[in-house]
Amino acid sequence: MRWRPVAVTLVLVALLAAAGAGLTRSAAGAGQDDPVRSVAADLRCPACQGESVADSRSPIAAAMRQAVADQAAQGRSRDEIRRWFVQRYGPDVLADPPARGVELLLWAVPALTLLAAGYAARRTLRARPRRSGELPTAPPAAGPAPGGAARWAWRWSALGLIAVVVSVAVAARGLDRPRSDPTPADPVAVAVGLARDLEAQDRYDAAAQMYREALRDRPDDTIRLRLAFALLRAGDAAGAAQAATETLAHAPELPDGLLVLGLAQRRTRPTEAPRTLRRFLTVAPEHPAAPEIRRLLATRP
Amino acid sequence: MLGELGTSGLTAGLLCATLTALLWLRAALFGTPTRPARLATAATLATAAVACGVLEAALLRHDFSVRYVAENGGRRVPLYYTVTSLWSALDGSLLLWLLILGGYAVLLAGRRYPARLHAYAMVVVSAVTVFFFALSCFAANPFRAVDPVPADGPGPNPLLQQHPAMGVHPPLLYAGYIGLIVPFAFALAAPLAGRDGRGWLRVARPWTLVAWTALTAGIGLGAWWSYAVLGWGGYWAWDPVENASLLPWLTATAFLHTGLGPGARRAGWNLVLACASFVLVLLGTFLTRSGAVASVHAFTDSPLGPMLLGFVLLAVVASTILTGWRPPERASRAASPALSRNTAVLVNGVLLVTIAAVVLIGTIFPLLSGPLGGVRTSVGPDYYHRTAVPLAIVVLLAMGVTPALRVRDRTRALRRLAVPGAVALATVAVVGLLSRPGLPTLTAFGTAAFVLTGLPGELPERLRRSGRGRLAGLVAHTGIALVAVGVAGSSAYGRDAERTVRTGEVLRVGDVSVRLVGVDRTGDTGGMAVHARLRLSESGGTERTVTPALRYHPARDTAVTVPVIDTGLLRDTYVTLIAVSPDDGSATLRLAVNPLVGLLWAGGALTAAGGLGSAIGAARPRRRTGTAGEEARPTSVPVRAGAAG
Amino acid sequence: MIRPAGRRPRRVPVWPALVLAVTVAVGVVVALGLRSGPTPPGSDAGTTGPPVPAPALSGPTLDGGRFDLADAHGHVLLVNVFASWCGPCRDELPLLVDAGRRWSPQGLRLVGLNVRDGSEAVRALLDETGAAGLTVLPDPDGTRAVDWGVRGVPETFVVDRDGRIVDRQRGVITRQWLEQRVAPLLAG
Repeated sequence: MRWRPVAVTLVLVALLAAAGAGLTRSAAGAGQDDPVRSVAADLRCPACQGESVADSRSPIAAAMRQAVADQAAQGRSRDEIRRWFVQRYGPDVLADPPARGVELLLWAVPALTLLAAGYAARRTLRARPRRSGELPTAPPAAGPAPGGAARWAWRWSALGLIAVVVSVAVAARGLDRPRSDPTPADPVAVAVGLARDLEAQDRYDAAAQMYREALRDRPDDTIRLRLAFALLRAGDAAGAAQAATETLAHAPELPDGLLVLGLAQRRTRPTEAPRTLRRFLTVAPEHPAAPEIRRLLATRP
Repeated sequence: MLGELGTSGLTAGLLCATLTALLWLRAALFGTPTRPARLATAATLATAAVACGVLEAALLRHDFSVRYVAENGGRRVPLYYTVTSLWSALDGSLLLWLLILGGYAVLLAGRRYPARLHAYAMVVVSAVTVFFFALSCFAANPFRAVDPVPADGPGPNPLLQQHPAMGVHPPLLYAGYIGLIVPFAFALAAPLAGRDGRGWLRVARPWTLVAWTALTAGIGLGAWWSYAVLGWGGYWAWDPVENASLLPWLTATAFLHTGLGPGARRAGWNLVLACASFVLVLLGTFLTRSGAVASVHAFTDSPLGPMLLGFVLLAVVASTILTGWRPPERASRAASPALSRNTAVLVNGVLLVTIAAVVLIGTIFPLLSGPLGGVRTSVGPDYYHRTAVPLAIVVLLAMGVTPALRVRDRTRALRRLAVPGAVALATVAVVGLLSRPGLPTLTAFGTAAFVLTGLPGELPERLRRSGRGRLAGLVAHTGIALVAVGVAGSSAYGRDAERTVRTGEVLRVGDVSVRLVGVDRTGDTGGMAVHARLRLSESGGTERTVTPALRYHPARDTAVTVPVIDTGLLRDTYVTLIAVSPDDGSATLRLAVNPLVGLLWAGGALTAAGGLGSAIGAARPRRRTGTAGEEARPTSVPVRAGAAG
Repeated sequence: MIRPAGRRPRRVPVWPALVLAVTVAVGVVVALGLRSGPTPPGSDAGTTGPPVPAPALSGPTLDGGRFDLADAHGHVLLVNVFASWCGPCRDELPLLVDAGRRWSPQGLRLVGLNVRDGSEAVRALLDETGAAGLTVLPDPDGTRAVDWGVRGVPETFVVDRDGRIVDRQRGVITRQWLEQRVAPLLAG
C-alpha cells in the first residue's frame, strides 16, 4: 500500500497549487469590479449620520457618487480621487482617516487586547504544579457571614442602593426636557418671520407674497389679517378687502379685520367704508387706531 | 387618568424594587427566609406589567394627554404598529425593558439554587431593576401629562411602521440583552457566597444560552429589518446600534465556550466574560440611548447619557472589585497538551475578545477622539473590514479545527482534518479561478467549506453521547458557517446600479432588468405615496410588475423608501425607488442583485435554533455522578453533555 | 461594597487595579465627550477658513444665457446652492433676491446653483418666490456642487472681488448674516 500516501500527497499538492492560483488571481482582481463603489464606500456622506456615500440616499451623496464616477472615467486613481474630496470636504470626508494621533487608538486598543488576552490564555494553559496548601477552592467563609460584618454590609449596601436612586432623581431634575424633543423648524413660522422682516423694510409686496405662502400651508386668520395689512400698505386695496372679508367670515366682530376692511373700502367702495369703520369704533373704542379713525370719519362725514 | 395610573405604577415599582433588593440582601447576609423577597420580586414584575399595560392602553385609546402617546401615537397608525409603538421610542422601551427584567427576576427567584448564591444573585438583579425603575420614574417617565392635549400625534418613526419584524425584533433583542444579567449576577454572587458560589457556572449556563439565543435571533431579525426597510440593500453597516448588539454577543459566545468542561479550569475567563457581557449591554444602552453617537437606527434620543454612563462605570467598578479581589475558585494549574480542546477554546476566546475590542473602540471612538484633541468622527466600515473580518475568519477556522483536537492521537486528528482541508482547498481553487471575489471572501468561502465538511465527522461522536442538546452545538456551528458564506457571497457578488430613467427606459444589472412603465401618486391614510410601476425581467424568468414606493409621512416630514425584494433561492432582486421627477416622467431607481442573502437568514435561524437546543439540554442535564446539588458538576468528563461546543 | 469577611491581609492585585484605572480614565474622557455634546455632520454652520480660490463655475444658464465666474471678477458674488425639493431654499430665496436687488449698485451679483432638479420645477419655484430674474446655473447631476464642497442644500458661498471664497453658510441664511458677512465686502 505504498501508493496511497503518494497519491494523497499528489492530490494535496495539486489542490494547494490550484488554491494558491485562485487566491493570487482573486487578490489581483480584488476591488477592480466596481472602483466607483469602492471609493464611494470609503467616503463619509457629509449630509447624513454614519452612512457612507455609497449607501446614502441623500441627493448630495448621489452627486458625490456621480463625481467619483466622472473622475474614475477620466482615469484618475483611487488616491487622486480621495485627495480631490479631501481638498473640498476636509479629512473628515474619509471614512477611514489615516492612522495618526488619536486614530492610533483604533489600532492600539485591539492590539493591546490581543496581547493581554493572549497572555491570560498562556497563563491559563501553562502547566504549573500546585503548591501544597493552595487548594483549588479556598472559600473564605462558609455559612452566613459573622454578625458584625453582615450588619456593616447590610447598612452600607442599603445606603448605597438608596444613594443610586437619589442620584438618579437629582440628575433627572437637572435635565431640561424641551431639549430632548426639539420641534422641527416650522416652515410657516419661518415664512411669517421672513414676511415681518420684509414689512420692516417697507417691502410690502414681497411680504404679502410670503404671507400667501404661509397661508397656503396653514389657513390661519392671524396670518390672513397680516396679509390684509401688508396688501393694504402695498396699495392693493381690493386684495386687502378680500382678505379682511375672509377673516371676518370666521370672526365677524374682529376689530383688526373691521379696521383693515374699512380702510381698504375707503379706496374700493368709499360709500361702505364709513359704516365698516363705525362698526370698528363700536366694537373696539379703546383700540390704538380708534382716535385716528374718529378723526378720519369726522373730516369726511 | 391613565397618565396618573401609570405614574403611580412606576412609583410603586420603584418602591417594590428597592424593597426586593433589601429583602434579598437580608436573606443573603443573615440567612432569613426568602419567601417575602420572592413575593416582593413578583410584586415588582406586577408593577412593571401594570405600567406597560397602562401605556399600551393609552396608545390604543389614543389618549394624547399622555406625553408618550402625544409624541409617538397617531390616529392613522395601523393597529399593529400602534401596539408596537410601545417600544418605538426610549421611554416606552424602557418599560418593556423593566417588564422583561422583572420577568427574568421572577423566573430566577423561583428556581432552587444554593441559598447564598441565589440570594446574592437576586440582590444584583434587583439592584439593576431599582436603577432602571428610578430612570423610568424620574428621567424618562412616559406618563407625564401634556397640556394642551393635541388632537392627534405624529405616530412612531415611519421606518418603524414598515416591517412586521418590528413586533418581535425589539422584545427578542431585549430578552437577549437582559438575560445576560443572570450570568453577571451569578458571577458577582459567586465570590460573595463562599462555598455556595462554586457551582455558579453550571447554574448560569442555561440562562446564558437562553439569553444568547434571544440575542442571536434579535440581531438576525435586526439585520433582516435593516435589509427590508432601510432601502440601501445592505443588512449590516457597522452602525453604533448594530455594534452595540454585537458586542455582548461576542463576549457571551466566548463565555459559552470557556464555560465548557470542568468549571475550575478557566475560572478567571468565565468570571471576566460573564461580567463583560452584561457591562457591554449596559454600555450599548448608554451609547445608543444617550444620543452620544450618531446612528441610522437611533430612534431614541434622550438626555439620560450621564446617568447611564455613571451606571456603566458603577457596574465595571463593582464587578472588578468583587471578582478581582476574591476569586471564588482558583484556576487549576493542571497541564494540558499544547494542541487540545482547551487551547482551541482559549484561542477562540482570545480572538472573540479581540473582535469585541475592535468593535468597541470603533464604536466609542467618536466619543473619545473629541476630548483627546482629534476630530469627532465616526469610524467607517472599512476599518472593521480590515480588522474584525480577518479575525472572524480565523475564529471560523478555529471552529473547524477544534472537533479534531478532541482526538488524542495526532495522526487520527490529522486524518480527520484531511477531507475538510481538501474540500476547502478545492473550494478556494474553483471559486478563485472562476471569479474574483477578493481575498477575504475567498478565504471565508474556503474556511466555511472546511467547517461545513468537518461537521459530519463529528456526528458519530455526538450521537454516542447522551443528553438532549447533544446535536445543538453542531446545528449552531452549521448556522454560523452558513452566515459566513452568505455574508461573503453577498458582499463580493452583489451588483447594483442606480440611474434616473425616463418612462420606457430600462435599468439593467447583469441579466436582470427593470423597465419604467409609469409613476402613480396616491394619497392614503399615512400620507402621500409615489409608486413606480416597473416591469422586472430576469433571464429565464417571466416578466412581472413590481411597484417600489416612496412614502411621504407629513406628520414627521420624512420620506421613506419602500423597496421591493424578490427573494430567490440563490439571490435576491432588490428594487428601490429613490426619487421621482415632478412631472412624473422619470424616476431614479436603484436595482441590486444580492446573491446568497437567503443563506444569511437561514444560517441565523439555524444558529438560534442551536442555541435553543443547547439551552434545553443544559437546563435538564443528565445527572452523571448521581449526587444532588453542586456536586453534580462533572469534573472528570472533558466535555459535558448538551454543550454547545 | 459588600465585604462579609475580610480577615486575611491582601496585597492589591495588579490586573483589577489596572482595569479600574483604565475604566476611570475612559469614563472621564467619555464624560468630557458627552459634555461637548454630539456634533451632527454639517452643523458647524458658519465655517470660515482662510480664503480659498473659488472653483471654476461656468456654463449655460436656465434662461439660455451663459455664466462664467471669471466674468464676475471685480464683483462680490453670492453663490446660492438650492433645489426646488428643498423647503428651506424656498424660504430663503426671497431674502437673497432682495439682497441682490438692494446691493447690486455696490457690485453684488447673485447666482443660483440648482442641484439635481428639473428645469420646470425650478422655473415654478422661481416664479413662486418672486425670484424669476435670478441667474440660475443648472447642475443636474450635482457634480458642480460637489466640486464646491457642498454638504447639503441650501448652502451659500461668498466670493470676494478677487474670486476667493471668503465665507460660506450651511443651511438657511438670515438677513443678519447678509449684513454681517456680505455688506462689509461691498463697502470695501
